[in-house]
Order: sequence, then structure tokens, then C-alpha cells
Amino acid sequence: MSNTKAFSEITRRTGAVLATALVLAVSFAPNAQSKTLGFVITTWNTGLYESKFVDECPEGFNIGYDEIWWRGLSKPERARLTDNGLKSRLERYFNAIRRGPNKEDVCMNPTIVKDPPLLTVEGKVSYGANLDGNADGGATANTCKHENFTGLDGTPGIDNQMYRLLGCVYGFRSYGQFEVNANENRKSNGNGMTLIEVTGVDDEKNDNDVKVSFYRAIDQYTLDGGGNFTPFASYRIDAAGGKLRYGSAVKGRIENGVLTTDEGDVNLPFYGNYTYMNQEIKDMRLRLELSEDGAKVNGMASGYYGVDQLMFYIGGLGPISSTAISNCPSIYLAAHELADGHPDPQTGKCTALSSAYNFRAVAAFIIHPKAEQTASADQK
Amino acid sequence: MHRVKFRSCLIALATGMALIVSGCDQPAPPVTGAAPTMRLLSESQYRNIIADLFGAQITVGGSFDPLVRTNGLLTVGATNARITPAGLEQFDRMARSIAEQVVSEANRDVLIPCKPASVSSPDDACATAFYKNVGRILYRHPLTDDEVRSPVAVAAAAGRDLGNFYDGIASGLAGMMVSPSFLFSIDTTEPDPSLPGKVRLDGYAKAARVSFFLWNTTPDDQLLTAAEKGALHDKKGLNAQVDRMLGSLKLETGMRAFFNDMLAFDDFAKIEKDSIIYPSFSAAVAEDAKEQSLRTIVDLLITQQGDYRDLFTTRKTFMSGPLGRIYRVPVDRPDGGWIPYEFPEGDQRAGLITQISFAALYSHPGRSSPTLRGRAIRESLLCQKIPDPPGDVDFSLFNDPNSPNKTARDRLSAHATQPACAGCHKLTDPIGLAMERIDGAGQLRTTESGASIDPSGDLDGVKFTDAVGLGKAMRDNPAVPPCIVNRVYSYATGRTPERTEQPLLNHFEKQFTSAQFRLPKLLQSIAASDALFAVAAPEARAAAALSEKDDKS
Repeated sequence: MSNTKAFSEITRRTGAVLATALVLAVSFAPNAQSKTLGFVITTWNTGLYESKFVDECPEGFNIGYDEIWWRGLSKPERARLTDNGLKSRLERYFNAIRRGPNKEDVCMNPTIVKDPPLLTVEGKVSYGANLDGNADGGATANTCKHENFTGLDGTPGIDNQMYRLLGCVYGFRSYGQFEVNANENRKSNGNGMTLIEVTGVDDEKNDNDVKVSFYRAIDQYTLDGGGNFTPFASYRIDAAGGKLRYGSAVKGRIENGVLTTDEGDVNLPFYGNYTYMNQEIKDMRLRLELSEDGAKVNGMASGYYGVDQLMFYIGGLGPISSTAISNCPSIYLAAHELADGHPDPQTGKCTALSSAYNFRAVAAFIIHPKAEQTASADQK
Repeated sequence: MHRVKFRSCLIALATGMALIVSGCDQPAPPVTGAAPTMRLLSESQYRNIIADLFGAQITVGGSFDPLVRTNGLLTVGATNARITPAGLEQFDRMARSIAEQVVSEANRDVLIPCKPASVSSPDDACATAFYKNVGRILYRHPLTDDEVRSPVAVAAAAGRDLGNFYDGIASGLAGMMVSPSFLFSIDTTEPDPSLPGKVRLDGYAKAARVSFFLWNTTPDDQLLTAAEKGALHDKKGLNAQVDRMLGSLKLETGMRAFFNDMLAFDDFAKIEKDSIIYPSFSAAVAEDAKEQSLRTIVDLLITQQGDYRDLFTTRKTFMSGPLGRIYRVPVDRPDGGWIPYEFPEGDQRAGLITQISFAALYSHPGRSSPTLRGRAIRESLLCQKIPDPPGDVDFSLFNDPNSPNKTARDRLSAHATQPACAGCHKLTDPIGLAMERIDGAGQLRTTESGASIDPSGDLDGVKFTDAVGLGKAMRDNPAVPPCIVNRVYSYATGRTPERTEQPLLNHFEKQFTSAQFRLPKLLQSIAASDALFAVAAPEARAAAALSEKDDKS
């Protein structure tokens, strides 16, 4: 058996094992002649539309938690808590974040202090998709009342409460600490790298039935001499112990070189700002523009992002929030107020924020684990 | 005797018995032999010897003077190489560094077979035992008393001055390693008892010649012992050693060195690519590209004992992570290592000349070069000499950035209208243009500057449509077998074959052809031949030269 054949065999057999090992949201029957496209996501940014003059934030950006702490201190307290000003700004961060009545960490206990309300986005234009199918933002069985945006192309009914929440927090904007840091972290250490695999592609320009799967890579990014992401590198799927850590899949289609998917709940790996986590995006749908040479793609994922999941991330960022000019308690309260999706069946309050994520990816070969390894682990 | 052998072959054929090619070999034509030479060790030979003698843990630092490629091989250039003062300085530094490592506390107990009576003073007996031991391998013959006395004296003096036996040993060893007896493979001769008045290589010189040929390193203990016993002057004894060497894992090392030389892969050390134009081409890609071709060659020719000509058509190769990005194929070990890989049938990659190594090496830093590629095929693989371009050649038409000629074919067509250029370009371009769908970094493409690339062409009248077709034409080209025979023989003897040796080369080619172009058979034929070891005294050489002159006139 040639190596090429062996590889196909591995892919085919792995697919069979996965079908039994994982609950896939779609039914899918690839054509024997079909192709597989693979991509590795290189940058992932919260979809915040930034106008030239920051018109979306008419009152400016929010202030950070240390600024709030500093403003709340009297002159003697400032002298006492900073050793008469001798403590560096970095050393002050730890005092600033433990500014609860009993020195509680306010990111871990965001309701323990009463901070100024978060300045939120007041713009009308946003990235994203009409997730609820509702043009006016009124409540539905699965959503809470919210204000819609208009898409950059004029599409009405765009849902993106995550933008409304974070668009005026400096650290989440494209040049802010959180986003830049997270992308650089992944680039430098290879953690939390997401692979996208499109299978069953009969025609790369137009195909009405493809499957889009998401995995975590265990190999670091391949970079060229200039530090740029190199396309067509091979990445192995994380299947430690024979179990796939990720593998969510949704059904999709390609029209004129643009891949879009149906909605589905997906789990994506994430690493950034020294935080490892799963990103569960509910009702997620993908839009991916394939480049002419197939080497690079731009994409957008939109769906509902849990408030608790968001606060786990933001709350864990700790002192980094200072340089990112962010404040956990203000964000926490606003997030709950702005949540517009997946209402809690008990309370009726929404638990997730509509959101969008812009990402870039380069073409990659996705290496599945050997079928025997997955099979034997499944049998245990 | 010869008639008897030939007749037995005919009888075997007539009776339907399998023809055993080696048993029916025609005797090789007689050769005069060349003058004895001193061949400078190549860098790889130097490194191999140190690793064989002291182990791979010894680091060999420093740089080696470049050799001049002659008749397509650096090995031939090494025969005429001399050591420059700067080169000697480098050898001295390397020798001192190696010697220090050998006597280091980490290695001395393993590498020095005896312990001195006192570490703080010389011990001539222990030093003698050590130098005799390593000297036999370094000098490729047992040391004479004089040869032992010198390093022992150095070790004694240095050991006394430095107050340390091992520092003394290091001094003596370093001295041995800058000796011509180590740095040159010297053709020592002795009177030939079967041909009174003539000379022959002595057993040790024969051992060195066959060892550097097949293994690219110094003779091992068994080969030196055979030389010591005179077994290499005996056909049976020589054959036994050659067969043993051909069956050794070291043959791979030897053949890697040969093909590295033949394909000019030493040029990978200075390959440069424009990172703006070819961002995917990195130092790792260059290193792996060379390694991929050598692995392909070794696997096909040594491991599989395949047909040499299949090197130009094989789809089987090996793949690494860095190469996978250029070839755009998946590699299930992207973290490092190699996997066997076979390009699918109908793929645009098949054969050595479609691999990244060939495409990238024979290209410019920022663009491909049909001329360099065509020239490399003609010179390296077909043994045809292409003259250097004239010094005043006008490249303006070719390099004009505003030229309406978008593809290399268009530009070369315009360039080749100059009479001074046309002759050579007719030889190189039709085959080099076949590889134009592989860019200067080894990546596939179909267009250049937006214009479709036409990779069709012809090789000596055989038409093809693309690089894979060129590979097939190469496979069947009658110049391919004699070329590899010429190169292997040159490599083995360290010299360019003379005109009078053409019947001998024809003889080897015939044997090679009979063996279905299996490289090991060619190696065996040459390694076990009288021709490999033939030397002539100056008088005989002068007579042969006169005879050759008469032939020409």
C-alpha cells in the first residue's frame, strides 16, 4: 500500500471510528472522489467594529480596575498603600484587584463592590449575523429583548451583544492588550490552536454539501523566516490517550468560493493571556472566504457565548486587566444585563451573549490519529 | 582460459540454464594505470574517520578549504589539492581540539587502552600502545618504528613540561593529525612480483582506495588485516573483502558521499533564496531537500537494489514536515523525522529532477533557471560538457523588467537569438524549460507573470510534454548508463579516465547493463577490478602518453 493510500485509509478508518465515538450534529456521506480542505486558525479576534473616530463609544473608553481603585483612595491611603509612592505600578495591581471590603479579589467576586456602570457601544453597525432570525430585536422563545445592529454590508438584524459589551473596553479592541496578547501567545507557544477541516468537497467553488469539523492541534505553528504563518504545513489532531479532545462538526456549503455553515453548538480550544479554556459557542455558524490560491482564508464565526464562560476568562486575567484597561465588576453586571440568548429555563434570564469572531487561517494538512489508536482507546 | 569461460556460458544458454551474469564476465581490458597520487581527505572523509576511530561524541569543528570540481567531481579535484597555510592552520586547530576531547576525563578511559603509571608524568609504554593503536587507523597502515617514536617523544616532552600524561598524549596525537600520512591518502607502491620491473600499490594503499571508494572512510580492522596478510593482491581475497564491504551498512555512507559529490550537493551549503519571493523556503527545507534526494537514491539503489535509470521516474521518496509544505502533501510526523512517501500516479512529481533539491539548487535566489537546470542535467547526469557563457554576454533582453516576454521560455527565445548564446542554449533550454512548472523554491506552478507555462520540449530528439516526461526520456537516454559508469570510476580512482581507458569503461558499462543497471554490481565490478589499483611508474606513463598521441594523430 502506498503511503498516499495509507493516509487515505487512516483518514477513512478514523472517520468510521469517530462516527461511533462522537455524537455528530450532522449526517454526512462523503463522496469517494471528494477532497478534504484543511486550515489552521492563525488569529482570532472578538468581532468589534471600530469606526475611524471611535463614534461607537461617544463617552470614550472605560477606565480600568486600578484606576477605579486609585480614584477611590484618599491621599493618606494612597501614601500608605504604596509605601509613600515607592511601590511600582506593577506592585500596586495586586492591591488594586483586592479592593473588596475584606480585600477580596473583585474579579473573582465581581458583585462585592459597586463600580461605575460600563460604558457600552452605542453605534449602529457591527460584525455578526442575524442569529435569532428576528429583525427587530424583540424577545423570542430563545432570546431576550435586545437592540440589533446593521451589518457592514447593510444587512439588518445583526445580533452582537458581545460587541455592545466589550466594544468600549480598550483591551478587547484590535490594538488592545487582551487580543494582541492572546494571538501572540498562541503563535509563540502553540497552545489552543484550532484546526478546521472541510470534508466531502467535490468542487472547491460550489458544493452544496460539505462537513466542517473543528479540532485542536498538538503541533506548533510553522512560521517562515519572517515570522509569518506558513501555509500547507501538517498538524496533528490532539487525541491524547486515543480520545479526541475536540471534534465538533457542522454541515456546510460552498457558494462561489465562500463557505457557510448551518448553525450548531461547537467547542473550540482557546489559549490566550495565560488562560487555557474551552470556548463553547452555541448555535455557531461560520463564514469562510477561500482565497484564489487556497493558501489563506478570512472567516467569521458567530453564535452565542455564555456569560459564565466569558467571566471565567475575564475574571482569570487578573492584573493583565490593568494594562488592558478593563474592570471585571462593571463588565460582569453589564454582561448579565446585555445577555440576549439561551434563557435559563428557571429564571427566564438570558445566559449568553450574541457574538462574532473574525479570524484568519492558512491552509494546512490535518493529520488524524491512527485508527487503531482511537479504536483501541474507545474499546477500553 | 577466457575462451573456456565464454564457451561455458554458451553451453549454459543452450541448455536453458539460468545465466549467471557474474560468472560469464568478459575479462577487463588491460590498463596502464595512472601515476601514484596523494589525495587530500575530503571534509566528510575526515569526519567519518574521526567518528570511526573515536566515536560520534567527538566534535569536529572548523572549516575546510574548498576543493576544485574536476570532471564533475570534487573527489577528482582532491587528487590535485594542496594544503594552503591557512588550511594547515585550520587542520592544526581541529587536531588540537579533537585531541583534547580524546584525552578528556569523559573519554580517556574508553579511548586510551592503558593507564599511565602516574598521571603527572610521561609513560612511554602506554603512549606507544596508544599511538600504535590509533596510528594504524589514522595512517591506514601499521606504524613504523620511526612513525611511533615521533609522537611518543612529543608526548614525553609535553607531558613533562605540562606535568600531565594526558596533555602529553594530546600533543602527540594532534601532531599525528596534521601529518601528510593522515591528511592525504597516499598511493604507496612496491615492486610487482608478477611483473618484474613494474610496481603495484601495496596492500594498505589498496585497502585505503577501496575503503574510501565504497565507505568514504578509513579501512577498518578487517580490511587492514587483509592488507597485512597480502590478501588484497589475491583475487579471491579481494573479492571477499569487496563483498563484505558491499554488504556493510557503511556502503550507504559511501554512496551518499558519492551522489553528494556527483550531484554537487555541497552547493547546498551556500544556497540562498529570497525570503520575500519564496517565504516557505527555509534552511530546514534546504537541508531536508538534500536529504530527501539522498534517501531516495539510497533506498532505490542500495536497499531495493533497483535499476539506476528508475531514479529519473520513481514516484517513491521520503517526506519530512518542512518538505511537506513545499510539496503540499500531508506529513504525519510534522514534529520531525521522515516517512516513506509515494506520489500518486499522474502526479507532476516523479524522479530526481522533479524533487525540490534539483529544482532549488539549480535556480537563482529569486527565480528558476531553465539554463542552470538544463546544464546540470547535461553535465551531471549525462556527462556532457556545456561551455561557460562568454564574458561579454548581453543579458539585457533576458533581464528587462519591462519585457513583454512573461515566461522564461519567451525571454530565453529572445536571448538565444544572439549567435554567441544560441549554441549552448539549444542544448540546455529545451530540457530546462520542461521543469519550469517547478519554481525556484521547488514549488509547483502553472503560470509565470500571469502567462501559462509551456513545459514541453525534447531531449536529443525524444519529445515530452512536462518534467515527468523529461524524466522518462532521461531514463531511456543512452548517455545515462555510461555517464554513471564514468562518474563512479572517476570517483573510485580519483582521476579523470583517460582516452585509452574507454574500452575499460565500455566493459564496465556492459557488466552494468547485464546486471539490469544495479549499482551494487557496478561498484563490485570496479572495486574488484585490477583497474582500480593500477599504477604505472613514470616511464610506463610516458610510453602510454606517446601511444595515445599516436592514436590521435
